[in-house]
Amino acid sequence: MSSNKKESTSEPRVGVYICHCGGNISDHVDVEQVAENIRKIPGVVVSHTNTFMCSDPGQELIQEDIKSGKINRVVVASCAPSLHELTFRNAIKRADMNPYLYDHANIREQDSWVHHGDPATAKATTLVAAAVAKTKRLEPLDPIRVDARNHVIVIGGGMAGLRAALDLSSRGIAVSLIEKSPFLGGQAANLDKLVPTEASAGDLIKQLAQAAVEDPNIQISTCSQIVGFEGYVGNFKVTVQTHPPDADTRRQIIRGITSDKSQVGKMIPFVGYFPSAVPTSEQTRIIDTGVIVFATGFKTYTPRQGEFGFGDFPEVITLPMFIRHMAQAAANDKHLSFNGKKIRRVAMIHCVGSRQIPGIHEADENDYMNEYCSRTCCSATLRAAMEIRENFPKTQVLDFYRDIRTYGRGQEDYYDRASESNVLFFRYEPEDSPLVEKNSSGDFPLKISVKDTLTFGEEIEADVDLIILSVGMEPNPITGLVDMMKLPVGSDRFLQEVHPKLRPVELANTGILLAGTCQAPMDISETCNAAQAAAVKASALLGKGYVELDPFVAGVDLAACSGTGACVDVCPVDAVKLKPVKINGEEVERAEVNPAICTGCGVCVAECPHNAIDVKGWTLKQYEDMVDAIVAA
Amino acid sequence: MSNESNNTPDGKILILATETCAYPGANSVGQAHSSYPANTYILRVRAPVLFPETFYLDCFKKGIGGIIIMACGEECPYDGAFHALSKRLDQVFKTMKAKGLDLRRLRLTAICTVCNRAFLKEVNDMNALIQELGRPTEGEMKAA
Ligand SMILES: Cc1cc2nc3c(=O)[nH]c(=O)nc-3n(C[C@H](O)[C@H](O)[C@H](O)COP(=O)(O)OP(=O)(O)OC[C@H]3O[C@@H](n4cnc5c(N)ncnc54)[C@H](O)[C@@H]3O)c2cc1C
Ligand code: SF4
Repeated sequence: MSSNKKESTSEPRVGVYICHCGGNISDHVDVEQVAENIRKIPGVVVSHTNTFMCSDPGQELIQEDIKSGKINRVVVASCAPSLHELTFRNAIKRADMNPYLYDHANIREQDSWVHHGDPATAKATTLVAAAVAKTKRLEPLDPIRVDARNHVIVIGGGMAGLRAALDLSSRGIAVSLIEKSPFLGGQAANLDKLVPTEASAGDLIKQLAQAAVEDPNIQISTCSQIVGFEGYVGNFKVTVQTHPPDADTRRQIIRGITSDKSQVGKMIPFVGYFPSAVPTSEQTRIIDTGVIVFATGFKTYTPRQGEFGFGDFPEVITLPMFIRHMAQAAANDKHLSFNGKKIRRVAMIHCVGSRQIPGIHEADENDYMNEYCSRTCCSATLRAAMEIRENFPKTQVLDFYRDIRTYGRGQEDYYDRASESNVLFFRYEPEDSPLVEKNSSGDFPLKISVKDTLTFGEEIEADVDLIILSVGMEPNPITGLVDMMKLPVGSDRFLQEVHPKLRPVELANTGILLAGTCQAPMDISETCNAAQAAAVKASALLGKGYVELDPFVAGVDLAACSGTGACVDVCPVDAVKLKPVKINGEEVERAEVNPAICTGCGVCVAECPHNAIDVKGWTLKQYEDMVDAIVAA
Repeated sequence: MSNESNNTPDGKILILATETCAYPGANSVGQAHSSYPANTYILRVRAPVLFPETFYLDCFKKGIGGIIIMACGEECPYDGAFHALSKRLDQVFKTMKAKGLDLRRLRLTAICTVCNRAFLKEVNDMNALIQELGRPTEGEMKAA
């Protein structure tokens, strides 16, 4: 890039472009005044305003100044950089200037929309002056380009993993699907008819699993887990271990199935789709891959001993246990029965293990609380309530809820229909949760009492035969993978995306993506949405055969580095290594950054005693100059 | 308008706002058109762990009245960065104490992309403090 060299060696000539944003900015900020103030800063050669900088004429203004050789640095002062930073970078690139010789001053969201009059104009001037100061220190940067393997590893064979695998394959990308159990389908296999379409969960699983098994582009490894990981986007090396199911409880449940070859290719209700015979010996192999998609899903909350009587009374069960019971009961029985007993009245309690409140609910043994809503249980509970009422009209249903959250298309209907079919609703406050006790008299085994806020605090007591707890979701325990791959986890313990709105399926670790309930509670539609988004994101990353990464990674100033290794010690992703180099004929060690691994967090910058390492495009010196400009204004 | 203080050199507040959480959080405050003091200057940072101890002290030396680090907290997308930042700040606070700088001039807080109320509270609280304390005194600046 010869033009780059010119740009970095010649004196900075900054062009400043201030946007009116229709009036969004100029109604509150005197943009002409700002342009005039900025023109006086040494190094600023043009200072323009325009009604809409992002419009074609606005962009052309910058491009003309670049092409005529007037400027070699750009500052745009307009809306939030998340909206148009890329627009301006591309415009600059098209004018044959390095797109990283540009900075952005946010004078709309962080100025004209929150301040007015003179203070707004003064602040705009300061913000632009700070951007000019930074821009003068910018160096041309090139995106980091690394070859990428046209291959994706999907971890987890539930709905998310299967959906993502099929979508990736249809884009011509080879997929290895790694599932730790012998079955496909994940937690959905424990469901029957689904909200809101009444589709059969087993049918949906079978549809996806069969297609995945038949797809030559998808290699499925069940009974497998990831035990080793290294590399970076485009070039991960992942060690996969496959072993026969061990002699734990799970195996007891599945022994009959996994030893029966005739079950291969079948959907086994409440177990999963059985894609292939289980391995008989242990095997370890390394897979080279370009992208990793996490689809490790969730587990249902297990109530504590004694929580609403769970574990104390056999008549207290969880919703998944009840769904399974109903699926089997509905086919044979005339009336709802449980453990051979007729069920005349059933109580359902919402939010068990979800929306926990410190001070009211008990933390688990690791001191965690599930403060989030599990989102799927309200609808699933109401569906189960209706199923009881429709199939066994003699069984009464009492529903104890905190809030009804039947969000999403078609889900509120369940609430309406449950009300119409005489499900009785009671609303409780978390600090006055329902109390479940053994019934000492009468022929009902249990008694449930609650302060009902729908009747303004009336104490309600009812005798019941069965209590169903709407248990929520918890992330599957994947601490091993989290530690190994250094993945960000939210305070709710689900995997944490880079940005909930703008980059919802990406982790900060470039090339590792999220699909489904490993990220947050979701229903199957949302799970598949996320899986398809992850598949598209993966194919966008790999489509060109190489990946281009933001150049904002650490860089070492070899003249200043003395090889202390302080950066190596603190780097959380092992992106810096000490490498032997010859300086003046002497062999010494100096820091070297692997740009494809470096996330650009900058933790090393502050630790280097010689200021020899910095994050490109965001250097300490640039910040210091910005502070100087702010103080001076 | 009423709570916009004068943009005087005596009362400048520097806000180090993380690119993924607090910076979009500040934009969200803008989208809601919620006014706050104009003596606040937001610098977009990837992770504030980048700044060494001297950076904060130098800012005070230069006359910045208060610094709010608006980080992502436990939601930080960079593994271990928030922990490292907290450790660094412990050290900065120790040094500030030793040098006689009012510790309230530096504040670490977690601000999410939609934490509008928390953002406004932090900014208003720091502004009230800065109006009370003024810019760092000669003594404080020298010490820093
Ligand atoms: C009670 C209840 C009722 C529900 N009802 C409905 C409904 O009516 N309608 C609806 O749309 N949704 C419903 N849902 C939600 C639905 O179950 C989920 O949306 C869906 O199952 C999520 O799929 P997933 O692939 O994200 O996760 P999972 O189904 O949990 O799949 C994850 C897979 O990853 C595997 N795995 C985990 N860790 C590893 C590892 N380390 N290595 C390899 N593999 C691993 C697991 O074995 C599993 O196969 C309900 C949920 C609950 C709890
Ligand atoms: S979906 Fe309903 S039952 Fe489940 S946690 Fe949320 S409010 Fe509670």
